[in-house]
Formats: sequence, C-alpha cells, structure tokens
Amino acid sequence: MDGDMNTRSTPGRWFAAPVAVFMMLCFAAPILIVTWYSLMPSRTFGLTGDLTLENYRSAFTDGYGRPLMWSLMGAATTTVVTAILAWPTAVILHRYAGKWASVTSALIALPIFISESVRLFGMSVFLMPRGGILAGTLNAVFGIQIGSIMNTWAAAQFGMIYIHLPFMLFPLLLGISLIPADRIEAARDLGANRWQSFREIELPLAAPGLMIGALLTFVLCLGANAEAAILGGRAVTVITAAIEQRFNYAQDWPMGAALTVIVIAVTALIVLPVLSRLDLNKLTGR
Amino acid sequence: MILSLASLSKTFGTTKAVDDVSLTIPEGEFLTIVGPSGSGKSTLVRLLAGLETPSGGDLFLREARITDTPANKRPTAMVFQSLALFDHRSVGQNIEFAMKMKGVPALARRARAMELLQLVRLPAEYYSRSVTQCSGGERQRVALARAFASDPEILFFDEPLSAIDYRLRKTLEVELKELHQRTGRTFVYITHSLEEAMVMSDRIAIMQDGRIIQTGTPAQIYGAPANRFVASFMGEVNILTVENKGDGQAAFVEIGQPIAKPGGAYAMVRPEALAQGAGDISAQLTVTQRLMLGSRTQVHLSSETGAILISEIPGTAPDLLIGSTHSFSFATQDIAWMET
Amino acid sequence: MQGRHTGALRALWIVAILAFLYIPIISVLLASMANTRYMRFPHKVWTLDAYREAIASFTTWQIHSISFWIAFFVVIFAVILGTLGAVAFARFDWRGRSLFQRLLVLPIFFPQPVLGLALLLSLNAVGLSPSWKTAILAHLVWIVPIVTLIISIRFFGYDPTQEEAARDLGANNWQVIREVTLPALWPGIFSGGLFAFLLSWSNLPLSIYTSGPDTPLPVWLFTRTATNYSPLVPSVAVIGTLISACLVISFALIVLAIRGLQRRRA
Repeated sequence: MDGDMNTRSTPGRWFAAPVAVFMMLCFAAPILIVTWYSLMPSRTFGLTGDLTLENYRSAFTDGYGRPLMWSLMGAATTTVVTAILAWPTAVILHRYAGKWASVTSALIALPIFISESVRLFGMSVFLMPRGGILAGTLNAVFGIQIGSIMNTWAAAQFGMIYIHLPFMLFPLLLGISLIPADRIEAARDLGANRWQSFREIELPLAAPGLMIGALLTFVLCLGANAEAAILGGRAVTVITAAIEQRFNYAQDWPMGAALTVIVIAVTALIVLPVLSRLDLNKLTGR
Repeated sequence: MILSLASLSKTFGTTKAVDDVSLTIPEGEFLTIVGPSGSGKSTLVRLLAGLETPSGGDLFLREARITDTPANKRPTAMVFQSLALFDHRSVGQNIEFAMKMKGVPALARRARAMELLQLVRLPAEYYSRSVTQCSGGERQRVALARAFASDPEILFFDEPLSAIDYRLRKTLEVELKELHQRTGRTFVYITHSLEEAMVMSDRIAIMQDGRIIQTGTPAQIYGAPANRFVASFMGEVNILTVENKGDGQAAFVEIGQPIAKPGGAYAMVRPEALAQGAGDISAQLTVTQRLMLGSRTQVHLSSETGAILISEIPGTAPDLLIGSTHSFSFATQDIAWMET
Repeated sequence: MQGRHTGALRALWIVAILAFLYIPIISVLLASMANTRYMRFPHKVWTLDAYREAIASFTTWQIHSISFWIAFFVVIFAVILGTLGAVAFARFDWRGRSLFQRLLVLPIFFPQPVLGLALLLSLNAVGLSPSWKTAILAHLVWIVPIVTLIISIRFFGYDPTQEEAARDLGANNWQVIREVTLPALWPGIFSGGLFAFLLSWSNLPLSIYTSGPDTPLPVWLFTRTATNYSPLVPSVAVIGTLISACLVISFALIVLAIRGLQRRRA
C-alpha cells in the first residue's frame, strides 16, 4: 500500500496547482504588497520610495493603540462569551436533542447566510431608543420607558457576540461529537463529579473543535467593523475603521498599510501555532 | 450479601431490556452473567454500575438502598467493553484518575499506581507511557488497574475480552481468575461466551430476553441446563425430543428409538457421550461429514429420519468414512433432561 | 439522574439561543411594514408601501443584479478550483500535502476586512480599478478554501480502490473520473456550490473594499444603515434575503431534476 501511494505522489501536486497559483496571486501577493507599502515614506502613493520604519513608529506612538486594543479586547470578550454560550448549546444538540437536533442546527446555521448588514440593521431597529422594537413594545404594552445601549461600546460588543455565535458553535459541535460517550461514563464511574468530568475528560477531548471555534471567532472579530459602525455609533473606533480612515480620508496609504501589517502579524501569531498543531485530516475525515 | 437486586427492570420505549430481575450476590463471588447479544445483560450491568436509572425495582449494597445513587458515588468500578481508556492521558494518569477525583495527593497516587501496575503485571516504566502506544493486552491491563485504583467493593466487567484474539483471551481469563482469588473482591462479569464463564466463575447466571433463566455453579449449569436455550448455548450438543405415545410408551423422535422412563420432554446428549458401539440407547447412523479437531474427531451423523447428530471421538477415527453407516449409542445416565 | 426539570431547562436554553439569533431578523420584517421616515414602533399604520417603492426603484434591481453576477461567477470558479483542490487535499498522498492543507485554510482564519483592504491597496498598486469583477477575486480568496474543505469531507469517506476496480474493469482515466470519482463527489460539489453562492451573496466585509463603484446588496444596506434610516432599507433587506432563498431553492430543484433525468436515462 505504501509503495502504491508513492507511485501516485505526482498527480496531487498537479491538482493543487490551480488553487495554489490563485492563492499566490490573490492572497500571498497582496500581503507582500501591503508589507512593502508599509515601508514607504508617509503619504506617498508609489512603491519606489526609500524604505523606512517610520510608519511603524507612528503606529505605536500616534494613538493607534486604542483602536487596536479595542479590537483585541472585543475579540477576546466575544470568544469567551460565545464559548460559554455555545458549550451547553452544543452539548444539548449532540446528546439530548434527538430528532430535533438537525432541525435546530439548521435553524442556528441559517442566519449565517443572511447578510450581516441585514442582521445588524435588525439588531439596531430592535435596540433603537424610544421607537425601537424593544423600547416601543415595552412602552406600548407595559407603559415602561427604557433607555438604550445603542451607540455605546456595549452595543458593538453585543453585536459581535450575536454575529459570531454560530462560528463558535459549529466547530464546537464537531469537537463535542469527538467525545466518546463511554469516556464520560468511565469518568463518572471512577468517581468524577460533573465539573471534574468536564475539566478532565470533556474539555480536553473537545479541545480541537473548541480551538478552531475560538480561532475563527477571534480572528473574525479582530477585523470586524460593521458592528461598531452600525451599533456602536461613534463610541468606538476599531482597528479596521482606523485603517480605512488612513486609506480613504487621510490618503496615507503607507500608514494604513503598516496598521494592516500589524493586524496580520497579530493574526499570524495566534493562528499559526494552533493550526500547526491541529490534525486537519482527523477533523475533516472523522 | 454484598449486592441485592430486587425486581430490577429497565424499559427503553416499549422494549423491556431488563425484565424483573432479582438476584443476590455474596461478598467475594465471581459471578458471570451470560447471554446472547440483545439479552439485556449489558443494560443490567449498567444499572448495577449506576450508568442507567432503573424503570422499576430496587438495588441494595449490603443493606443500603443505592437505586438512585449516581455512578460517581457508588463504590463500584467498571471495565468497559471498549475499555474507555482516556487516550489524552498517560497510563499512570489513567490509573490515578479515581484517586485524583477523591483528592489523593500526587505522591500517594503515584505509589498506589506503581503497586497496581505490578498487580496487573505491567512494567513500572509503563507509568509515563501514552495509552495509545499500548498493545491490546496492555490496554486491558491498564483498564483493570484503573478500575482497581478506586478500591471498589465490586468490579463490573462488560465483555472486556470480546475483541481480543483467542490466545491472549485465554491468558487474560486465567489472570483475571487469579486476580479475583488474590484480591478477594466481588467480580460481576458479562459475556456472551458460556465457555469463558465456565473457566472463571464461581456462579453463572444465564439471561434471555431480559430475564435470568438459570443460575448455578458451572458444574450445575453444565450438568443440568434448565432448558433447551441454555443447552444450545453450550455449543454443539444433541437435543432429542421425546414423543409420548400413550400407555406408558415413549420414543426419541430424531432417532426413532424407544425410551422406557423419560425424565423430561427433551434430552441433551453431549457429543462425547455419543459413541460407537452398543449401549443403553443405540441407533444406526450414517456419517455425512468429518472434521478434525486436533485430539478429537467430530463426525456429523444422519439418522433414518434425516436428523443430524454430532459425535466427538478421541483420535482420528479412521473407520468413520463419509457415507459409511455405523452403530452409535449413549448411556441413559449421560442424558440431561429438560422440560422446555 | 435526569429529572423533568433538566429536560425543560435544556429546551428553554435552546429556545433562548434561537430567539437571540432570530430577534434581529424578525425586527427587520417588522420594521419593513411602515411608511414613516423615522422608526416609531409599534407602527400607527401597517403597510407594504415600502415594498412597492423598493420594487419600483431602479437601484433595488441594480444592487441585486450586481450581487447576483458576483455570486454566479464565484460559484463557478469556486467549484472548479475547490474540486481540484479537494483532490489534492484529500485524495492523493503527496509530499507537500500537509503544507498545502495548512496553507489553504489560512484565508479562512484571516480577518476579512483586512483582506479586503490589502486587496484594495494591491489593486491600486498594480493599476486595476476595483469593480464587481475584483470583488469576485476577493470573495474567492475566502470561499475557495471553504468549498475545498466541504468537498474534501466527501473524499475522506471515499474508498479509492473503487477507482482501481474501475480501471481493472477496463475504464480509462477519463472514464474513471466521469463514472466513479465525480458521482461520489457530487453531493460535496453540490453543497460546496450552495455555500459559495450564499456566502458570496451575503458578504459585506470583502465587498465593501473591493467592489469599487459597483454596490452589491450588503454594501448598499450597510452604507444606508450607517448613514440614515428609511423604510426602504428593511424592505430591500427582506427582498434580498427572499431572492437568495428563491435562487437557492430553484438551483436545488434544477440540479435534482437534471439528476433525475440522468438516472432515468441510465
């Protein structure tokens, strides 16, 4: 069988070639170009200037730290909260939902395919002060006047949790399904209480799914700006918004590029170590 | 009595997996519950371990009612059919699991784990090995040590040897029996193999359709099976039907031979009891197949009515050629009588 | 061990999660049935005027057609690249496979708006002006890896000795692909195409930076929402979502019909 595999080692490379070329042109090359741009002098539009690290110095001194911190904190909070919400949901779907499992999973997946601009718009009309769906209904039915979290960082954070919950849930569901039921029974039989069984058995066995979910959620949130734009008003500036401002309004491409490279570096620092430890064959080919 | 089952039942939907089972298990006994797949034996042992909640009946450990006690609070441990080893933990961590749950300090755990490795005949260096690197037999031993580590009053075994090859299984059966004798613990063992049960057990309970239909020592079950189901479970045996012809006359249907004083409606005759030559009950039988079993030869014999009987003869039986007809017989004292 | 209460609590939890996910969607529906300039819920007048206005508007058709053509080409290219990629990803064991697998999933684990901005800058650098065509490229960077994974999952459950059996029975390379490989992959290709369409149709973060003057539906909704409210926004949102649902359903029906015909012929 091994020898058989070796003789077939060539076709794989040919099948990979079109995808590889496409990714080189549209994924790797842009990253390289952005990196090159980030080394150009401030407010230039060409790629032929003298190389400089000035933009990176500005990135750390000129108040770009706040948007970056906000994005990192927002991503971390979203990852933790979605994991806490998704774990019981995945456990219920996998172990207890029975015939309802597939219908419920489909219902949870469906909103992913509705544009996030539609859903965030919906969230904004729901949360809107006075005439919003929530405030208006409470006022009309119960005569209660409530305030609103719209246009605060809390609203943006809430929106991020809302948008990214399915991205945590489905990888986690895969992870939970990797736990053989008899391992949990064995732990219980050997005296583990619910918490001990969760910590010692379920969490480590579901770890691959949890890691993927956390990675996906964190990275998607790191770049997220629609939540802050639609729900957060002007209360928060996320890193993507800061980059966009450099590109569009300030017309300072090298500065925007430097900020982009910083986000890419943060992403790579988080993604690459985890991804190199995961066995993709095992996860997709279960 | 260490464990008492009082009318224990478990229904899944409309199927009665365990149906009104009452049984008492004395301290230190090696009890084996034998049944074919689907007989409810696995569900029964899961009820005993606390992994299922009974639909009816009660369970007592010594005098205490433990029917509603969850698995983690019962002083019992189970060796699972799949072994359910924690693949993300080392051999040592697997063995120490129950002690860790109780909060035993690391040093004491390690010392006990070393003792247990010795008990199950694994070298001490296995302590830090990953369980995924262990062979089938080694995994069995790790599972056994892990179960023993919680110092359980009763150990349950859910067919742990079913996926093991024949030679290793035989070795482990003997080791398990020795372990039972050495530790003096109560063992409740589940298997579909009566042969395995005979080797190891003090007492055997036979299960069919969720009920226990016979309990007894291996000798009692072997000598006097309760019914044809139990008899057929012993492997290849001859079961003959008695036909009552009225006015005190009766005959074996399959071989057309009269029997003066039948002890039941069916007669079990072991293959080794059916031998060539004259005896209490005899018949002319034609050889249809012969199989070498090593020290013995098994021959399939056809009677005049077309029924097939099986005989096992020491040696190679050179004269019993296919197609040849011979006189075979068995003694009335070799018959085990059954009513159903 | 499992009381009736725990069962009810579990059901309640799931209902709460579903409510959380669907309240905004229901809110859009409710908001679309007003004709006032400002949102005052509950509406004094419930009306479908906004839908009439949306359907009559040229912009509505324009943004939908841009979204459609982007999604259309994304599906075609993603399915071709994804199928080839899946063969390399899962079917063959070759020297660079492990690296290929890891590199290919990287775009999924990449902040999309950042990718969009990087592409925008690169397009400017090489002198291409962004349009709906460049948005296709941007979408593909993110969608091709997803489609590849979906088709690969199909492959892992596939026994390659089938191909050897077919070859042994006299099939040539092309016949093996047509008769054995593609039929086995078909469900994966089908769902891959479906995902590609839906993900492209609803994508905001890539389109917003790479589609230039051509405004696809999500971008139009986003800019309208972020700037000023009008009852046209929710009605267009509902129409856009319904159109994507209709397109997906009709696509599924057409595919099923073709498959039915093929089976009858065979």
